[in-house]
Amino acid sequence: MSPTKIPGELSVSFRYTPGVGNTAFFEALRDRGVFLGSRCDDCAVTYVPARIFCERCLVELEPSEECGPDGELVSWTVARVDVDDRPLDQPVTYGLVRLDGADTVFLHRLIDVNDPPEIGGRLRAVLAEDRTGSIFDVEGFAPASG
Amino acid sequence: MVPMGLRVVVAGVGWSGFSPTTAGISYKELMFEAARQAYADAGLDPRSEIDSFVCCSEDLEEGTSIFDEYVPDQLGAVQRPVQTVASDGLFGVATAVMLIRSGIASTVAIESHSKASDIVSTGRVDRFAMDPVLNRPLGVSATALAGLEMRRWLHVAGRSEVECAEVAARNRDHARNNPRASYADTRDPTPLFDPLTREQAAEPADGCVVLVLSSEEKAPASAVFIDGIGWSQDAPSVESREWDRAAAAERAARAAYERAGIDPSDVEVAEVDDTYAYKQLQHLDALGLHGLDSDRVNMSGGALGEGHLREANGLARALACIERLRAGDARVGLAQSWRGVPSTSAAVAVMRR
Amino acid sequence: MSPRVAVVGAGMSRFVRRAQETGKELSWIATREALASCELKLTDVDTVCLTSAPDAFDGVHRKGDYLADGAGAWAKPYMRTYVGGGSGVFTAIQGWYTVASGLADVVVCVAEEKMSSCQPHPQGAFLTIFDNILERPLGPNLLWIFALEMQRYMQAYGLDKRDIAQVAVKNKRNAADHPAALLGQTDITVEDVLASETLAWPVQRLDVSPISDGAVAIVMASEEAAKRLTDRPVWVQGVGWNLDTTYWTNRDLAYPEYVENAARMAYGMAGVNEPRKEIHVAEPYDPFDYKELHHLEGLLLFDRGKAPEAAAAGVTARDGDLPCCPSGGLLGVGNPIAAAGLMKIAELFWQLRGEAGARQVPGTPERGVAQAWGDLMQVGTVVVMGNDGGPLTTATRSPTPQSPPPGPRATPLSDQEFRSATGAVEQRLDTLYDWDAGEAIGAFLDGLREQRILATTCVSCGRTLVPPRKFCERCFRPADGWTEVPQTGSVDTFSICHVTWDMRPLEEPQIPAVIRLDGTSEGGFLHLLGEVAPEDVHAGMEVEAVWKPAGERAGSILDIAYFRPLDPEVRRELVATAAAETPLGSAV
Repeated sequence: MSPTKIPGELSVSFRYTPGVGNTAFFEALRDRGVFLGSRCDDCAVTYVPARIFCERCLVELEPSEECGPDGELVSWTVARVDVDDRPLDQPVTYGLVRLDGADTVFLHRLIDVNDPPEIGGRLRAVLAEDRTGSIFDVEGFAPASG
Repeated sequence: MVPMGLRVVVAGVGWSGFSPTTAGISYKELMFEAARQAYADAGLDPRSEIDSFVCCSEDLEEGTSIFDEYVPDQLGAVQRPVQTVASDGLFGVATAVMLIRSGIASTVAIESHSKASDIVSTGRVDRFAMDPVLNRPLGVSATALAGLEMRRWLHVAGRSEVECAEVAARNRDHARNNPRASYADTRDPTPLFDPLTREQAAEPADGCVVLVLSSEEKAPASAVFIDGIGWSQDAPSVESREWDRAAAAERAARAAYERAGIDPSDVEVAEVDDTYAYKQLQHLDALGLHGLDSDRVNMSGGALGEGHLREANGLARALACIERLRAGDARVGLAQSWRGVPSTSAAVAVMRR
Repeated sequence: MSPRVAVVGAGMSRFVRRAQETGKELSWIATREALASCELKLTDVDTVCLTSAPDAFDGVHRKGDYLADGAGAWAKPYMRTYVGGGSGVFTAIQGWYTVASGLADVVVCVAEEKMSSCQPHPQGAFLTIFDNILERPLGPNLLWIFALEMQRYMQAYGLDKRDIAQVAVKNKRNAADHPAALLGQTDITVEDVLASETLAWPVQRLDVSPISDGAVAIVMASEEAAKRLTDRPVWVQGVGWNLDTTYWTNRDLAYPEYVENAARMAYGMAGVNEPRKEIHVAEPYDPFDYKELHHLEGLLLFDRGKAPEAAAAGVTARDGDLPCCPSGGLLGVGNPIAAAGLMKIAELFWQLRGEAGARQVPGTPERGVAQAWGDLMQVGTVVVMGNDGGPLTTATRSPTPQSPPPGPRATPLSDQEFRSATGAVEQRLDTLYDWDAGEAIGAFLDGLREQRILATTCVSCGRTLVPPRKFCERCFRPADGWTEVPQTGSVDTFSICHVTWDMRPLEEPQIPAVIRLDGTSEGGFLHLLGEVAPEDVHAGMEVEAVWKPAGERAGSILDIAYFRPLDPEVRRELVATAAAETPLGSAV
């Protein structure tokens, strides 16, 4: 008898609230088009998106720092396959961008960048016209000069 | 001066699988086989002589919630103290060390396995480890983080893609002498997430490793000691983690060396995480082992040669290290693990014969 | 003799139905409060221990890694342990051995659960805890197994549902005095519980604890550190944990042996010889009202089957001889799974320090026990804590702090607010598997296709086992061979289930049952009953398998359509005939 394989799945739906910190971040992004962060003076770290606590010392933080929309490219990669390892029709370039004023990086798509992009290069966030309060309120990052 | 160490020894080892697929064998049967070998190696009856059992697993990798339910029988652990550590197997070794040192157990079995061939899409599993609000909606594969980290690290450390390719080739070369290795002949320079290529990423494999640790009073004369153990992680978020170096592995190594009372220069053989070829180089830096002869690193072929065993990777590295020490190839060895993207968790064990 | 370890601080979020906070933020609320309660900074903490129940609640794979920042684990040694519903109490055991090992001096233990993420109902996650090949095709929901166990418990000891319902009343009333509780209710009565909707007989809605979001944290320290940090440490005197066989349909669900095993381990370490005299306050695990009673028996605090009448007589009330769940338990405070277990440790900490305010049990309790339970009715986790006869007499501090302090500590959202929250994201877990049935289950499924029920045998212990396995778990040796067993048996326990997994009413009730198959040593498996009216089903009822037609059988547990009642006379004949035909050699 050949080995018996039983197909199955974990099929569960979720609704994730963004939490207090990300809610402040998304509201500021949607309503004012700014990147809201939180600063811990003791640890000298500014987090973007905003957080309600410092992960290094657990003090409560105020989501009150505005960072970006310009920043510098920390790294980039090209996705040629999807999560199922199937080839994408169009490769997508993703980058890590350190927004001005922030100590953290922001993961998003790179748009119209040089080929190849340069680490340390200056980029600017491209915001969506119609913003709803989501990570897609940012369309990606494009060269700051462009 | 003889270092104090942790006073914990490896009493037995066992393994099964280590193959791209293990068709016709269930995960339970895979575990039973490895456990039987480990108990025979230790000369212990699990029903009466193993005090505590630790399994390292994650639900989504099994396709079952609360996978802890499904582990006791095939380990001889029914109606015994059993726990799951939701992490890599070396975290299970750390747990066993603590159980033994606390006095609540003098013998502990640690199990971890990969039945990767049961998972149709590992990418969908890994995606669910990313932040649901900030990262996951982008649709990006978790493996993209390896591409991003590799480029950043090469830039900061001044290393080259050629060096990474050499690691992959060398590990696969080492794998030729290892009965557990299936990927000695993999060659595929196709880009995966630039600059990461397919041949520089370990491919999935099935396998199970069981270790039995005991207090030193129970040690045979030639036993391998676990002298140091350390585990740590960095910020879990993509946004605030360290992108320039393997900070968690550095901290884990520092703790392990300190507990073992040794310096990195004392390490004679190392089995380190090479889920991606650049990680081996980055990890050797973090461990202070960049000076170690490359022929003494991942002599087993590592995960690039044996295949990626998911949460069993750390135990696969530990097993290979124990074998080298038992064979008399070295006196002091080190095994290190990293949980793979998008995790930052890492663990280090220092061993001595 | 292990080194001494103490609990020196505790904190918790409020337990709410839907939290605005992420799991990270809930963890932070609890961790910050626990540290503040003993005036520690994060830099004083060496190691962080975390627990959380299934990833399929929060909807995050490797939830431990994800929650690390909220738990204060940045750049620290950090590990998540996980024993299902037993996890919350287990993380205190994890904290204990982490400190007792000498590898850490001060640790924080955090337990978190955010069940509201799981849609449309957290029961969706529980569908995935059952055996992937033999049980999930039957569509079992979590209520089934509780109902099957409750029914067996009631039937074995002839218990009255009214006595069991007292527990729900007591705990919801106790919770009214807990500032972080979700379901405190001073005016609930036994009649309310007995009149509540029947979900899966004998389980009714008010027998069940509420779905919740929340987090709890405690600080544990070595003897030396504890004495430095507080004048009122509460010592961990004993810890125990124990996991029973996966094959729950092969066990007698009337009594939790694994809880007794864990309790004996913990009592032994604590030097407790007579728990009924030496335990002064108990926090047994109470996700359902009968579970508190079941567990009190497993904890050796009452004789088997005798806890319900003691509860009805008020023995377990807050001012009774043995106060049980003075916190309000899971039934009242709420049940964010892992967090609820650690809440019990926090409650003992506060009770044994005399800080529980309106919840404080009278007298001078010196020792308490907390217990949790989980997996497939399978794991017991037990911690014995004591104050060494210290704290209440040293009431030099005034006013006595009341813990946890009142405060917002988590933001409850209405369903409407939850649906419309800015930035909320919906996603579906859609991971696919192709499970290898393996040799034993593969052969079993092949047998079903041929209308045969195959069992493995072990000559060492003489057992014949269904479901079959390649190994004998009791003797830890390979199974010896195969045999075919009759397709008849009796109902071990059953439920009449009136709702779907997401709590929608069923048109026709389902009747899940554990079938004790003839010819097997320890029973059989979970299946459904058919061709019988719900009111006619009874424990011990004799049944036979009804098969799908040959062309429809696919090598699945569903090849048996259901079991139906069978005339006892016919059954005896069938069993005799089966015994006369020599059992098979190797079926593989």
